[in-house]
Amino acid sequence: MVFSSLFFYFLFLPLFLVLYYVLPKRAKNYALLAFSLVFYAWGEPVYVFLMLGMTLSDYTIGRIMNRFDQAPKKRKLCLVCSVVIDLSCLAFFKYAGFLVGMVNAIPGVMIPLRDIALPIGISFFTFQTMSYTIDLYRREVTVEKNYFEYLMYVSMFPQLIAGPIVRYKTVKQELHERTIRRDEVVDGAMRFFYGLMKKVLLANRLGTLFDDATAAANPSMAFAWMGAVAFTLQLYLDFSAYSDMAIGLGQMLGFHFNENFKYPLAADSVTDFWRRWHISLSTWFRDYVYIPLGGNRCKVPRQIFNLAVVWFLTGLWHGASWNYVLWGVYYGILLCLEKFVYGKKLEKAPKVLRHIYLCFIVVVGFTVFAIEDFRKMASYLSHMFTARGGVCSSEILFYLQNYGFVLFVAILVSLPLFPLLKRKLETVGKRAQWILGTCYAVLIAVLFLVTVSYMVADTYNPFLYFRF
Amino acid sequence: MNRTIKTTLVAVLAGITLLLSLATIFAPKKDFSENENRVLESAPKLSADTIKDGSFMDNTETYVSDHFILRDVFMTVKTVYERTTGRNRINNIYMCEDGYYIEEYDGLQNKARIEGAIKRLVERTTEKKVRAVLVPTAVTVYADKLPATAKNADQEADRKAVEKSVQEYADSLGEGDFSWVDVASALKNAGDEQLFYKLDHHWTTYGAYLAYREIIKSFGFEPLAREQFTEKTVSTEFRGTFASKVNDLTAKPDTITAFESDRLSLRVTYSDKKLETDSLYAPEYLSKKDKYSYFLNNQNTFVEVHNENAQTEKVLAVIKDSYANCMIPFLSEHFETVYVFDTRYYRGKVSDFIAENGVTDVLFLYNMYTIDTDLGITSIR
Repeated sequence: MVFSSLFFYFLFLPLFLVLYYVLPKRAKNYALLAFSLVFYAWGEPVYVFLMLGMTLSDYTIGRIMNRFDQAPKKRKLCLVCSVVIDLSCLAFFKYAGFLVGMVNAIPGVMIPLRDIALPIGISFFTFQTMSYTIDLYRREVTVEKNYFEYLMYVSMFPQLIAGPIVRYKTVKQELHERTIRRDEVVDGAMRFFYGLMKKVLLANRLGTLFDDATAAANPSMAFAWMGAVAFTLQLYLDFSAYSDMAIGLGQMLGFHFNENFKYPLAADSVTDFWRRWHISLSTWFRDYVYIPLGGNRCKVPRQIFNLAVVWFLTGLWHGASWNYVLWGVYYGILLCLEKFVYGKKLEKAPKVLRHIYLCFIVVVGFTVFAIEDFRKMASYLSHMFTARGGVCSSEILFYLQNYGFVLFVAILVSLPLFPLLKRKLETVGKRAQWILGTCYAVLIAVLFLVTVSYMVADTYNPFLYFRF
Repeated sequence: MNRTIKTTLVAVLAGITLLLSLATIFAPKKDFSENENRVLESAPKLSADTIKDGSFMDNTETYVSDHFILRDVFMTVKTVYERTTGRNRINNIYMCEDGYYIEEYDGLQNKARIEGAIKRLVERTTEKKVRAVLVPTAVTVYADKLPATAKNADQEADRKAVEKSVQEYADSLGEGDFSWVDVASALKNAGDEQLFYKLDHHWTTYGAYLAYREIIKSFGFEPLAREQFTEKTVSTEFRGTFASKVNDLTAKPDTITAFESDRLSLRVTYSDKKLETDSLYAPEYLSKKDKYSYFLNNQNTFVEVHNENAQTEKVLAVIKDSYANCMIPFLSEHFETVYVFDTRYYRGKVSDFIAENGVTDVLFLYNMYTIDTDLGITSIR
């Protein structure tokens, strides 16, 4: 189930929210849990058991760890068990095909390979449930005694399938005791609408542009770049729209998740970019991998090693394919360069140049990210960097005509203009605020109807056999 | 944003959502979508099996979207929004001058298959007079109506390449009477009168008439003058296949005209429908969505047309797509018998039929889109 489907938005969500708000406090958690399980089972019912199993394992390990409070060795053993179980599940369900494929590449080896469907959101919920046992081991949280509440934390549908990766310690308090305030419901709903529109009106519309560019036999440089830029914007808008919707929904239910994106495409260095992009993932790796390895409190070669590990894993986390690893390593190298080679010089460069530098890196990076097949990737990159297909071609006009508006709005939305405008708006008079506010509200209402029309139209499926 | 405005806005949006939800749940359901020409999803069945294999979930989602309230209206909203924001191509249809919808042409994908099929027809019909036509579509004929930024492959170049290859092969056989009929110039020089429907992929009866003149001349007849027909408007509410693809309820529908003649005395047999009548028209389709099926009663594997008052006793076999459907009335004026084959469905050997049933002339007629998508032409043997 995706948030932008008619079924979710018009049936599942209203039904859930009505129930959630009318039920007494104690029952709310169970309603949320039940709906979350249905939500998860919707895509692939069997995998609910996988999630139940993994949460049960970490919950039990947590209880055992708590019992051996004074036995450091046993606590450590518990932690090791938890991490090994979680990572094994992740490895089996997400990376088995990839690993077996690699082993089979060795001549003479042939391990039969069964296709395993990827459990939706497994990368996200594995990291969530791991954060609990690790934090428990570090004594940063106290033990969770109610299994259902633990399961609810992991399976909560707003953030289940596409993040943000919410840590147990962030929501522990609210799992048991939270207040639902009207203003927050309104703010959360607004955030959700905003995310929904971002996804449907912008991200979904950009997708076909990159598809066309990669399908073109011999795209010109301009077209190849246009496609890559469109993909970058699409990925950012899609992903951050999901986070917006998740955070918004959470807020409507009384939860406060951390921000996951802070206008990453407005960053001015790679370091800055990763402080703004998928924050819940980069901080996860920072706190649970990089810092335990020694972080940057060690000699330079060891620091480079630490970064290499983190960025190799970050790449791999995104998918079981070498292009994601390459993408991770690409950022690892760039971060090292900024850290040890030209970071100081970069800081002195004008802001515009730094921003162009970052955009260039990000767009090229996402091109690597987008194309799994290395031969196709190389070919596409060569069209971006050489004039094999000419510098510009007349079809650019077609794409500008048909995608220009979406691209333009997508760029505006990707830059932090909205908060800027909001601040500006607060300085004008009360009367003007009312008028502008009302105009804005009307615009949003119209765009909402357009969003619904796209949600309907995306399922439109004319079967025109009378083509003849 | 001011808190009051924000709260009101959220309340309004939530209200709209609830209203649409309830309306979708309680509105009466349709079984068939004429616009999309397909059966809509029926209510999902809940059982352990359907949950296990996921079909319950898939069906539920499709059910909700298929029966969503005001579906056509929302579709129009989307189209209007896209056009307002600069899009000139929707579902591969260009929005063109004078309200024309013209389908994007991206080249022939199956050139070898097409040439092979026609060559086989040519080598098996060397005893007959064979004429072939590839009809250029609106993308060529109305090229000047396309938006300036449209990108299309060169349809005329593709057409000429196929024609050249087949003609060379026919000439190399050293026997037979095969040639292409060029209808492109007649269509291109036709002036302002409408040759193609604005919201459908077919040509108008007038477009077909102009092509008929060229074709019948090449068979050695004198074409009938336009004044010899009574032009009758049979529908003013035709929203064809392109209308279904673009989905804009505000677009002005087409008019369908038939060129009627009092010279015909017909006996028509439609094989699939086991129907024998005296007409080449099927008025019942005029009240349906697919109004072009008025001509020659929709799709038929095989149609046999006898005209007692025909100019000659010659027998014509037509191997064709639906572009020919509105042209058969013209052809029947000249040929005592016209056999019409739809190669998508006909499973016999067309060339055997031609050899065994006294056929004197053969017409092969396809437009440049269907020639590429019709797998049936490979069965011409």
